[in-house]
Amino acid sequence: MLILMLSFAFYLFTLWKRQFFYAGLILQIIYLGMRGFELERLPLVGPHDTLAFLSAAVAAFSIVFARHLKDSLQFINISAIMSAVFTAFALTSKQHSAPLPPVLKTFWFELHVVLAFLSYALFGIAAILGYLFLKERDNYFDGLQYRAVLIGYSFFSISMIFGGIWAYLAWGTYWLWTPKELWTSILWLFYSLYLHVRLRPSWFGKPMAILSITGFAIVLFTYLGVSLLMKSSHSF
Amino acid sequence: MLKHIIEFFLSIRTTIWLLLVLIAALFAGAFIMPAKEEFQTIHSMPLFDWLREQSIGITWWLWSAIGILAVITINTIACSIESVIKKRKVTQWLLLISPQVIHIGFLFILLAHLLSSSGGFMGNVVAKEGTLLKMPLDNLVLHIKNINIDIDHYGYVRNWHVDVQYLSGQDKVISDRIKPNKPSLKEGFNINIKDLQAFPQKAVLIQVSREPGAIWALIGGILFLVGTITLIILKTKIEK
Repeated sequence: MLILMLSFAFYLFTLWKRQFFYAGLILQIIYLGMRGFELERLPLVGPHDTLAFLSAAVAAFSIVFARHLKDSLQFINISAIMSAVFTAFALTSKQHSAPLPPVLKTFWFELHVVLAFLSYALFGIAAILGYLFLKERDNYFDGLQYRAVLIGYSFFSISMIFGGIWAYLAWGTYWLWTPKELWTSILWLFYSLYLHVRLRPSWFGKPMAILSITGFAIVLFTYLGVSLLMKSSHSF
Repeated sequence: MLKHIIEFFLSIRTTIWLLLVLIAALFAGAFIMPAKEEFQTIHSMPLFDWLREQSIGITWWLWSAIGILAVITINTIACSIESVIKKRKVTQWLLLISPQVIHIGFLFILLAHLLSSSGGFMGNVVAKEGTLLKMPLDNLVLHIKNINIDIDHYGYVRNWHVDVQYLSGQDKVISDRIKPNKPSLKEGFNINIKDLQAFPQKAVLIQVSREPGAIWALIGGILFLVGTITLIILKTKIEK
Protein backbone atom coordinates (compact mmCIF):
# COMPACT_ATOMS: atom_id res chain seq x y z
CA MET A 1 0.00 0.00 0.00
CA LEU A 2 2.95 2.31 0.74
CA ILE A 3 4.11 1.97 -2.86
CA LEU A 4 0.65 2.96 -4.10
CA MET A 5 0.61 5.96 -1.72
CA LEU A 6 4.01 7.01 -3.06
CA SER A 7 2.82 6.71 -6.64
CA PHE A 8 -0.19 8.91 -5.74
CA ALA A 9 2.18 11.53 -4.31
CA PHE A 10 4.48 11.30 -7.35
CA TYR A 11 1.54 11.85 -9.72
CA LEU A 12 0.74 15.06 -7.84
CA PHE A 13 4.42 16.12 -7.85
CA THR A 14 4.26 15.90 -11.66
CA LEU A 15 2.73 19.40 -11.56
CA TRP A 16 6.13 20.53 -10.27
CA LYS A 17 8.49 18.26 -12.28
CA ARG A 18 7.54 15.89 -15.10
CA GLN A 19 10.02 13.16 -14.04
CA PHE A 20 7.75 12.37 -11.11
CA PHE A 21 5.12 11.19 -13.58
CA TYR A 22 7.38 8.42 -14.87
CA ALA A 23 8.39 7.52 -11.31
CA GLY A 24 4.71 7.35 -10.30
CA LEU A 25 3.92 5.03 -13.18
CA ILE A 26 6.91 2.76 -12.47
CA LEU A 27 5.89 2.49 -8.80
CA GLN A 28 2.32 1.67 -9.78
CA ILE A 29 3.48 -1.05 -12.18
CA ILE A 30 5.67 -2.48 -9.40
CA TYR A 31 2.66 -2.40 -7.05
CA LEU A 32 0.42 -4.20 -9.56
CA GLY A 33 3.20 -6.74 -10.21
CA MET A 34 3.54 -7.43 -6.49
CA ARG A 35 -0.25 -7.79 -6.12
CA GLY A 36 -0.28 -10.22 -9.02
CA PHE A 37 2.60 -12.19 -7.53
CA GLU A 38 0.89 -12.30 -4.11
CA LEU A 39 -2.49 -13.35 -5.57
CA GLU A 40 -1.00 -15.62 -8.27
CA ARG A 41 -3.31 -14.08 -10.87
CA LEU A 42 -3.89 -10.81 -12.69
CA PRO A 43 -4.93 -8.25 -10.05
CA LEU A 44 -8.11 -7.21 -11.82
CA VAL A 45 -10.97 -8.03 -9.48
CA GLY A 46 -12.72 -5.44 -7.30
CA PRO A 47 -12.49 -1.64 -7.29
CA HIS A 48 -9.05 -1.43 -5.60
CA ASP A 49 -7.10 -3.38 -8.21
CA THR A 50 -9.09 -2.20 -11.23
CA LEU A 51 -8.74 1.47 -10.23
CA ALA A 52 -4.99 1.04 -9.76
CA PHE A 53 -4.79 -0.68 -13.16
CA LEU A 54 -6.89 2.08 -14.78
CA SER A 55 -4.69 4.75 -13.24
CA ALA A 56 -1.51 3.08 -14.55
CA ALA A 57 -3.09 2.59 -17.99
CA VAL A 58 -4.01 6.30 -18.20
CA ALA A 59 -0.44 7.25 -17.25
CA ALA A 60 1.12 4.79 -19.73
CA PHE A 61 -1.08 5.84 -22.64
CA SER A 62 -0.55 9.52 -21.89
CA ILE A 63 3.23 9.04 -22.23
CA VAL A 64 2.66 7.45 -25.67
CA PHE A 65 0.28 10.22 -26.80
CA ALA A 66 2.45 13.02 -25.36
CA ARG A 67 5.19 12.05 -27.83
CA HIS A 68 2.91 13.26 -30.65
CA LEU A 69 2.28 16.67 -29.08
CA LYS A 70 4.44 19.78 -29.67
CA ASP A 71 3.81 21.04 -26.16
CA SER A 72 2.72 18.23 -23.88
CA LEU A 73 3.06 19.98 -20.50
CA GLN A 74 -0.66 20.62 -19.92
CA PHE A 75 -1.61 17.21 -21.29
CA ILE A 76 0.78 15.38 -18.94
CA ASN A 77 -0.32 17.50 -15.99
CA ILE A 78 -4.01 16.72 -16.53
CA SER A 79 -3.22 13.02 -17.10
CA ALA A 80 -1.24 13.01 -13.85
CA ILE A 81 -4.21 14.53 -11.99
CA MET A 82 -6.52 11.90 -13.52
CA SER A 83 -4.12 9.09 -12.52
CA ALA A 84 -3.79 10.58 -9.03
CA VAL A 85 -7.59 10.72 -8.59
CA PHE A 86 -8.00 7.06 -9.64
CA THR A 87 -5.10 6.06 -7.36
CA ALA A 88 -6.72 7.96 -4.46
CA PHE A 89 -9.98 6.04 -5.01
CA ALA A 90 -7.98 2.79 -5.23
CA LEU A 91 -6.33 3.60 -1.89
CA THR A 92 -9.71 4.12 -0.23
CA SER A 93 -11.24 0.94 -1.72
CA LYS A 94 -11.09 -2.46 -0.07
CA GLN A 95 -8.65 -4.99 -1.54
CA HIS A 96 -10.19 -8.16 -2.94
CA SER A 97 -7.66 -10.80 -1.95
CA ALA A 98 -9.91 -13.88 -1.71
CA PRO A 99 -9.25 -16.71 -4.16
CA LEU A 100 -11.10 -16.32 -7.43
CA PRO A 101 -14.24 -18.39 -8.00
CA PRO A 102 -13.37 -21.17 -10.49
CA VAL A 103 -15.54 -19.55 -13.18
CA LEU A 104 -13.22 -16.52 -13.27
CA LYS A 105 -10.09 -18.63 -13.78
CA THR A 106 -10.00 -18.38 -17.55
CA PHE A 107 -8.07 -16.31 -20.06
CA TRP A 108 -11.40 -15.15 -21.57
CA PHE A 109 -12.07 -13.28 -18.33
CA GLU A 110 -8.55 -11.85 -18.19
CA LEU A 111 -8.68 -10.65 -21.81
CA HIS A 112 -12.20 -9.26 -21.30
CA VAL A 113 -11.20 -7.21 -18.26
CA VAL A 114 -7.75 -6.07 -19.44
CA LEU A 115 -9.12 -4.83 -22.79
CA ALA A 116 -12.08 -3.12 -21.10
CA PHE A 117 -9.80 -1.14 -18.79
CA LEU A 118 -7.33 -0.29 -21.54
CA SER A 119 -10.26 1.08 -23.54
CA TYR A 120 -11.52 3.08 -20.53
CA ALA A 121 -8.03 4.59 -20.19
CA LEU A 122 -7.98 5.53 -23.89
CA PHE A 123 -11.43 7.12 -23.59
CA GLY A 124 -10.01 9.09 -20.62
CA ILE A 125 -7.08 10.25 -22.78
CA ALA A 126 -9.56 11.29 -25.50
CA ALA A 127 -11.53 13.32 -22.94
CA ILE A 128 -8.36 15.13 -21.84
CA LEU A 129 -7.50 15.89 -25.48
CA GLY A 130 -11.08 17.07 -26.01
CA TYR A 131 -10.78 19.44 -23.05
CA LEU A 132 -7.45 20.76 -24.39
CA PHE A 133 -9.02 21.31 -27.80
CA LEU A 134 -11.80 23.39 -26.23
CA LYS A 135 -9.17 25.40 -24.36
CA GLU A 136 -6.53 25.82 -27.05
CA ARG A 137 -8.51 25.35 -30.31
CA ASP A 138 -5.53 23.46 -31.78
CA ASN A 139 -6.65 20.93 -34.45
CA TYR A 140 -3.82 18.63 -33.48
CA PHE A 141 -5.69 17.75 -30.25
CA ASP A 142 -8.72 16.89 -32.37
CA GLY A 143 -6.78 14.42 -34.56
CA LEU A 144 -5.12 12.73 -31.60
CA GLN A 145 -8.43 12.49 -29.76
CA TYR A 146 -9.93 10.63 -32.74
CA ARG A 147 -7.01 8.17 -32.68
CA ALA A 148 -7.48 7.53 -28.95
CA VAL A 149 -11.20 6.90 -29.44
CA LEU A 150 -10.69 4.63 -32.47
CA ILE A 151 -8.19 2.40 -30.65
CA GLY A 152 -10.24 2.54 -27.44
CA TYR A 153 -13.41 1.60 -29.32
CA SER A 154 -11.62 -1.36 -30.93
CA PHE A 155 -10.36 -2.60 -27.56
CA PHE A 156 -13.81 -2.13 -26.06
CA SER A 157 -15.53 -4.02 -28.89
CA ILE A 158 -13.04 -6.89 -28.66
CA SER A 159 -13.53 -6.94 -24.87
CA MET A 160 -17.31 -7.27 -25.39
CA ILE A 161 -16.82 -10.11 -27.90
CA PHE A 162 -14.52 -11.99 -25.49
CA GLY A 163 -16.97 -11.29 -22.65
CA GLY A 164 -19.76 -12.82 -24.75
CA ILE A 165 -17.73 -15.96 -25.49
CA TRP A 166 -16.83 -16.33 -21.82
CA ALA A 167 -20.45 -15.76 -20.69
CA TYR A 168 -21.66 -18.46 -23.10
CA LEU A 169 -19.15 -20.96 -21.68
CA ALA A 170 -19.73 -19.95 -18.06
CA TRP A 171 -23.47 -19.21 -17.95
CA GLY A 172 -24.89 -20.62 -21.18
CA THR A 173 -25.75 -17.27 -22.72
CA TYR A 174 -23.68 -14.63 -24.47
CA TRP A 175 -26.01 -11.84 -23.38
CA LEU A 176 -27.86 -11.04 -20.16
CA TRP A 177 -30.31 -8.19 -19.70
CA THR A 178 -28.75 -6.57 -16.62
CA PRO A 179 -28.06 -2.87 -15.94
CA LYS A 180 -24.32 -3.36 -16.57
CA GLU A 181 -24.86 -4.90 -20.01
CA LEU A 182 -27.36 -2.16 -20.83
CA TRP A 183 -24.92 0.60 -19.85
CA THR A 184 -22.15 -1.17 -21.73
CA SER A 185 -24.37 -1.12 -24.84
CA ILE A 186 -25.05 2.59 -24.29
CA LEU A 187 -21.31 3.21 -24.04
CA TRP A 188 -20.52 1.18 -27.16
CA LEU A 189 -23.31 2.90 -29.13
CA PHE A 190 -22.14 6.30 -27.90
CA TYR A 191 -18.62 5.76 -29.26
CA SER A 192 -20.13 4.28 -32.45
CA LEU A 193 -22.01 7.59 -32.70
CA TYR A 194 -18.73 9.48 -32.17
CA LEU A 195 -17.02 7.58 -35.01
CA HIS A 196 -19.96 8.20 -37.36
CA VAL A 197 -20.14 11.91 -36.47
CA ARG A 198 -16.46 12.00 -37.36
CA LEU A 199 -17.38 11.14 -40.96
CA ARG A 200 -18.97 14.63 -41.29
CA PRO A 201 -16.09 17.14 -41.55
CA SER A 202 -18.45 20.01 -40.63
CA TRP A 203 -18.71 18.51 -37.12
CA PHE A 204 -14.96 18.34 -36.51
CA GLY A 205 -13.65 20.28 -33.54
CA LYS A 206 -16.00 21.44 -30.77
CA PRO A 207 -18.79 18.83 -31.22
CA MET A 208 -16.20 16.01 -31.23
CA ALA A 209 -14.49 17.41 -28.13
CA ILE A 210 -17.82 17.65 -26.28
CA LEU A 211 -18.70 14.08 -27.34
CA SER A 212 -15.38 12.71 -26.07
CA ILE A 213 -15.83 14.40 -22.67
CA THR A 214 -19.46 13.18 -22.42
CA GLY A 215 -18.30 9.69 -23.45
CA PHE A 216 -15.85 9.54 -20.57
CA ALA A 217 -18.60 10.59 -18.13
CA ILE A 218 -20.60 7.56 -19.39
CA VAL A 219 -17.48 5.39 -18.96
CA LEU A 220 -17.18 6.44 -15.33
CA PHE A 221 -20.84 5.75 -14.63
CA THR A 222 -20.73 2.39 -16.46
CA TYR A 223 -17.63 1.34 -14.53
CA LEU A 224 -18.18 2.75 -11.06
CA GLY A 225 -21.80 3.91 -10.87
CA VAL A 226 -23.42 0.74 -12.19
CA SER A 227 -21.02 -1.62 -10.40
CA LEU A 228 -21.57 0.09 -7.05
CA LEU A 229 -25.24 1.08 -7.27
CA MET A 230 -26.97 -1.60 -9.33
CA LYS A 231 -27.20 -5.36 -9.02
CA SER A 232 -25.57 -7.28 -11.88
CA SER A 233 -22.99 -9.94 -12.72
CA HIS A 234 -20.41 -7.11 -12.66
CA SER A 235 -21.23 -5.75 -9.17
CA PHE A 236 -18.32 -5.09 -6.83
CA MET B 1 -41.09 9.92 -52.94
CA LEU B 2 -38.90 6.86 -53.61
CA LYS B 3 -35.93 9.16 -54.16
CA HIS B 4 -36.48 10.72 -50.71
CA ILE B 5 -36.70 7.27 -49.07
CA ILE B 6 -33.46 6.15 -50.75
CA GLU B 7 -31.73 9.41 -49.76
CA PHE B 8 -32.95 8.94 -46.18
CA PHE B 9 -31.43 5.46 -45.93
CA LEU B 10 -28.18 6.46 -47.65
CA SER B 11 -27.54 9.39 -45.33
CA ILE B 12 -24.95 9.36 -42.54
CA ARG B 13 -27.19 11.98 -40.87
CA THR B 14 -29.84 9.25 -40.58
CA THR B 15 -27.29 6.95 -38.89
CA ILE B 16 -26.33 9.67 -36.42
CA TRP B 17 -29.93 10.52 -35.51
CA LEU B 18 -30.92 6.85 -35.25
CA LEU B 19 -27.98 6.16 -32.94
CA LEU B 20 -28.93 9.17 -30.80
CA VAL B 21 -32.56 8.03 -30.47
CA LEU B 22 -31.42 4.46 -29.74
CA ILE B 23 -29.06 5.67 -27.00
CA ALA B 24 -31.92 7.77 -25.54
CA ALA B 25 -34.24 4.73 -25.51
CA LEU B 26 -31.65 2.51 -23.80
CA PHE B 27 -30.81 5.33 -21.39
CA ALA B 28 -34.48 5.44 -20.31
CA GLY B 29 -34.45 1.63 -20.05
CA ALA B 30 -31.33 1.71 -17.86
CA PHE B 31 -33.41 3.49 -15.20
CA ILE B 32 -36.69 1.62 -15.76
CA MET B 33 -35.09 -1.86 -15.66
CA PRO B 34 -33.66 -1.81 -12.10
CA ALA B 35 -36.82 -0.13 -10.76
CA LYS B 36 -39.36 -2.67 -12.04
CA GLU B 37 -39.63 -6.18 -10.56
CA GLU B 38 -41.04 -7.58 -13.82
CA PHE B 39 -37.55 -7.47 -15.35
CA GLN B 40 -36.38 -10.21 -12.98
CA THR B 41 -38.23 -12.74 -15.16
CA ILE B 42 -36.75 -11.44 -18.43
CA HIS B 43 -34.48 -14.50 -18.84
CA SER B 44 -37.21 -17.03 -18.07
CA MET B 45 -38.43 -17.20 -21.69
CA PRO B 46 -37.49 -15.91 -25.16
CA LEU B 47 -37.36 -12.11 -25.10
CA PHE B 48 -40.17 -11.62 -27.63
CA ASP B 49 -42.51 -13.91 -25.62
CA TRP B 50 -41.62 -12.04 -22.45
CA LEU B 51 -42.22 -8.68 -24.12
CA ARG B 52 -45.70 -9.75 -25.29
CA GLU B 53 -46.65 -10.64 -21.71
CA GLN B 54 -45.51 -7.35 -20.17
CA SER B 55 -47.19 -3.96 -20.06
CA ILE B 56 -46.04 -1.52 -22.73
CA GLY B 57 -45.65 1.00 -19.91
CA ILE B 58 -42.39 -0.65 -18.82
CA THR B 59 -41.24 -2.16 -22.12
CA TRP B 60 -41.76 0.74 -24.55
CA TRP B 61 -38.04 1.50 -24.58
CA LEU B 62 -37.19 -2.09 -25.62
CA TRP B 63 -39.84 -2.05 -28.39
CA SER B 64 -38.47 1.34 -29.53
CA ALA B 65 -34.90 -0.03 -29.52
CA ILE B 66 -35.98 -3.03 -31.63
CA GLY B 67 -37.74 -0.71 -34.11
CA ILE B 68 -34.74 1.64 -34.36
CA LEU B 69 -32.37 -1.31 -34.81
CA ALA B 70 -34.52 -2.52 -37.71
CA VAL B 71 -34.15 0.88 -39.42
CA ILE B 72 -30.40 0.96 -38.58
CA THR B 73 -30.06 -2.44 -40.29
CA ILE B 74 -31.47 -1.06 -43.56
CA ASN B 75 -29.39 2.10 -43.18
CA THR B 76 -26.19 0.05 -42.58
CA ILE B 77 -26.77 -2.21 -45.59
CA ALA B 78 -27.62 0.75 -47.86
CA CYS B 79 -24.62 2.86 -46.76
CA SER B 80 -22.20 -0.11 -47.06
CA ILE B 81 -23.36 -0.96 -50.60
CA GLU B 82 -23.18 2.70 -51.65
CA SER B 83 -19.70 3.09 -50.15
CA VAL B 84 -18.34 0.04 -51.99
CA ILE B 85 -19.89 1.15 -55.31
CA LYS B 86 -18.68 4.76 -54.98
CA LYS B 87 -15.12 3.94 -53.94
CA ARG B 88 -14.62 0.65 -55.83
CA LYS B 89 -11.77 2.11 -57.91
CA VAL B 90 -9.62 3.18 -54.96
CA THR B 91 -6.20 1.57 -54.64
CA GLN B 92 -6.51 0.94 -50.89
CA TRP B 93 -9.08 -1.82 -51.32
CA LEU B 94 -8.62 -3.22 -47.81
CA LEU B 95 -9.20 0.21 -46.30
CA LEU B 96 -12.50 0.40 -48.18
CA ILE B 97 -13.65 -3.08 -47.25
CA SER B 98 -12.64 -3.26 -43.57
CA PRO B 99 -15.37 -0.85 -42.28
CA GLN B 100 -17.88 -2.89 -44.31
CA VAL B 101 -16.60 -6.10 -42.68
CA ILE B 102 -17.20 -4.41 -39.31
CA HIS B 103 -20.73 -3.53 -40.47
CA ILE B 104 -21.40 -7.13 -41.59
CA GLY B 105 -20.13 -8.36 -38.20
CA PHE B 106 -22.52 -5.95 -36.46
CA LEU B 107 -25.44 -7.18 -38.60
CA PHE B 108 -24.62 -10.82 -37.77
CA ILE B 109 -24.67 -9.93 -34.06
CA LEU B 110 -28.09 -8.30 -34.55
CA LEU B 111 -29.28 -11.45 -36.35
CA ALA B 112 -27.99 -13.52 -33.42
CA HIS B 113 -30.03 -11.45 -30.96
CA LEU B 114 -33.10 -11.74 -33.19
CA LEU B 115 -32.80 -15.56 -33.31
CA SER B 116 -32.11 -15.93 -29.59
CA SER B 117 -34.90 -13.50 -28.70
CA SER B 118 -37.45 -15.50 -30.66
CA GLY B 119 -36.28 -19.08 -30.11
CA GLY B 120 -34.07 -19.04 -27.03
CA PHE B 121 -34.69 -21.15 -23.96
CA MET B 122 -33.40 -21.05 -20.40
CA GLY B 123 -34.44 -23.22 -17.46
CA ASN B 124 -32.98 -23.89 -14.01
CA VAL B 125 -33.39 -26.89 -11.76
CA VAL B 126 -31.81 -28.06 -8.51
CA ALA B 127 -30.35 -31.59 -8.65
CA LYS B 128 -28.52 -33.98 -6.33
CA GLU B 129 -26.28 -36.95 -7.08
CA GLY B 130 -28.43 -39.61 -8.74
CA THR B 131 -31.12 -37.20 -9.93
CA LEU B 132 -32.68 -37.97 -13.33
CA LEU B 133 -33.89 -34.97 -15.33
CA LYS B 134 -36.09 -35.10 -18.41
CA MET B 135 -34.39 -32.99 -21.05
CA PRO B 136 -36.31 -30.75 -23.46
CA LEU B 137 -35.13 -33.16 -26.18
CA ASP B 138 -36.97 -36.27 -27.36
CA ASN B 139 -36.46 -39.34 -25.14
CA LEU B 140 -33.40 -37.95 -23.42
CA VAL B 141 -32.80 -38.06 -19.69
CA LEU B 142 -29.92 -36.36 -17.89
CA HIS B 143 -28.42 -38.34 -15.03
CA ILE B 144 -26.37 -36.43 -12.44
CA LYS B 145 -23.80 -39.08 -11.62
CA ASN B 146 -21.20 -37.36 -9.46
CA ILE B 147 -20.76 -33.93 -7.90
CA ASN B 148 -17.14 -33.17 -6.96
CA ILE B 149 -16.39 -29.96 -5.07
CA ASP B 150 -12.83 -29.11 -4.05
CA ILE B 151 -12.94 -26.75 -1.03
CA ASP B 152 -9.81 -25.25 0.52
CA HIS B 153 -9.24 -24.97 4.28
CA TYR B 154 -10.65 -21.41 4.31
CA GLY B 155 -13.94 -22.66 2.91
CA TYR B 156 -13.52 -21.30 -0.63
CA VAL B 157 -14.47 -23.46 -3.60
CA ARG B 158 -11.18 -24.10 -5.42
CA ASN B 159 -12.56 -26.20 -8.24
CA TRP B 160 -15.44 -28.48 -9.13
CA HIS B 161 -16.68 -30.89 -11.74
CA VAL B 162 -19.95 -32.71 -12.28
CA ASP B 163 -20.14 -36.03 -14.13
CA VAL B 164 -23.32 -36.49 -16.11
CA GLN B 165 -24.80 -39.15 -18.36
CA TYR B 166 -27.37 -38.79 -21.13
CA LEU B 167 -29.73 -41.75 -21.20
CA SER B 168 -31.83 -42.29 -24.30
CA GLY B 169 -34.79 -44.62 -24.84
CA GLN B 170 -32.65 -47.40 -26.27
CA ASP B 171 -30.43 -47.64 -23.13
CA LYS B 172 -27.73 -45.67 -24.94
CA VAL B 173 -25.46 -43.88 -22.48
CA ILE B 174 -23.25 -40.92 -23.28
CA SER B 175 -21.02 -39.60 -20.49
CA ASP B 176 -19.77 -36.05 -20.11
CA ARG B 177 -18.08 -33.89 -17.48
CA ILE B 178 -19.18 -30.32 -16.73
CA LYS B 179 -16.44 -28.05 -15.37
CA PRO B 180 -16.10 -24.28 -14.83
CA ASN B 181 -16.25 -22.65 -18.29
CA LYS B 182 -16.77 -26.06 -19.88
CA PRO B 183 -20.49 -26.73 -20.25
CA SER B 184 -21.94 -29.90 -21.72
CA LEU B 185 -23.17 -29.11 -25.23
CA LYS B 186 -25.91 -31.40 -26.48
CA GLU B 187 -27.88 -30.92 -29.71
CA GLY B 188 -27.93 -27.13 -29.48
CA PHE B 189 -28.49 -27.10 -25.71
CA ASN B 190 -25.94 -25.76 -23.25
CA ILE B 191 -26.03 -27.58 -19.90
CA ASN B 192 -23.99 -25.86 -17.22
CA ILE B 193 -23.77 -25.50 -13.46
CA LYS B 194 -24.94 -22.15 -12.13
CA ASP B 195 -24.37 -22.80 -8.44
CA LEU B 196 -23.16 -25.58 -6.12
CA GLN B 197 -23.82 -26.63 -2.54
CA ALA B 198 -21.46 -28.90 -0.62
CA PHE B 199 -23.34 -29.14 2.74
CA PRO B 200 -25.52 -30.66 4.15
CA GLN B 201 -25.90 -32.57 0.91
CA LYS B 202 -24.13 -32.10 -2.42
CA ALA B 203 -26.44 -30.30 -4.83
CA VAL B 204 -26.16 -28.23 -7.98
CA LEU B 205 -28.27 -25.62 -9.71
CA ILE B 206 -28.33 -26.80 -13.31
CA GLN B 207 -29.10 -24.42 -16.11
CA VAL B 208 -30.25 -25.73 -19.46
CA SER B 209 -30.23 -23.09 -22.17
CA ARG B 210 -30.50 -22.84 -25.91
CA GLU B 211 -29.19 -19.84 -27.82
CA PRO B 212 -30.02 -20.27 -31.51
CA GLY B 213 -28.12 -17.07 -32.22
CA ALA B 214 -24.87 -18.08 -30.48
CA ILE B 215 -23.11 -19.30 -33.64
CA TRP B 216 -24.13 -16.13 -35.54
CA ALA B 217 -22.92 -13.97 -32.67
CA LEU B 218 -19.57 -15.78 -32.84
CA ILE B 219 -19.30 -15.31 -36.63
CA GLY B 220 -20.32 -11.65 -36.22
CA GLY B 221 -17.80 -11.16 -33.44
CA ILE B 222 -14.97 -12.67 -35.53
CA LEU B 223 -15.87 -10.47 -38.54
CA PHE B 224 -16.04 -7.40 -36.29
CA LEU B 225 -12.66 -8.28 -34.79
CA VAL B 226 -10.99 -8.90 -38.19
CA GLY B 227 -12.44 -5.67 -39.65
CA THR B 228 -11.40 -3.60 -36.62
CA ILE B 229 -7.83 -4.91 -36.47
CA THR B 230 -7.37 -4.48 -40.25
CA LEU B 231 -8.72 -0.92 -40.11
CA ILE B 232 -6.40 0.10 -37.27
CA ILE B 233 -3.33 -1.46 -38.90
CA LEU B 234 -4.08 0.29 -42.21
CA LYS B 235 -4.79 3.67 -40.59
CA THR B 236 -1.56 3.43 -38.58
CA LYS B 237 0.42 2.57 -41.76
CA ILE B 238 -1.09 5.53 -43.63
CA GLU B 239 -0.18 7.92 -40.82
CA LYS B 240 3.42 6.65 -40.80
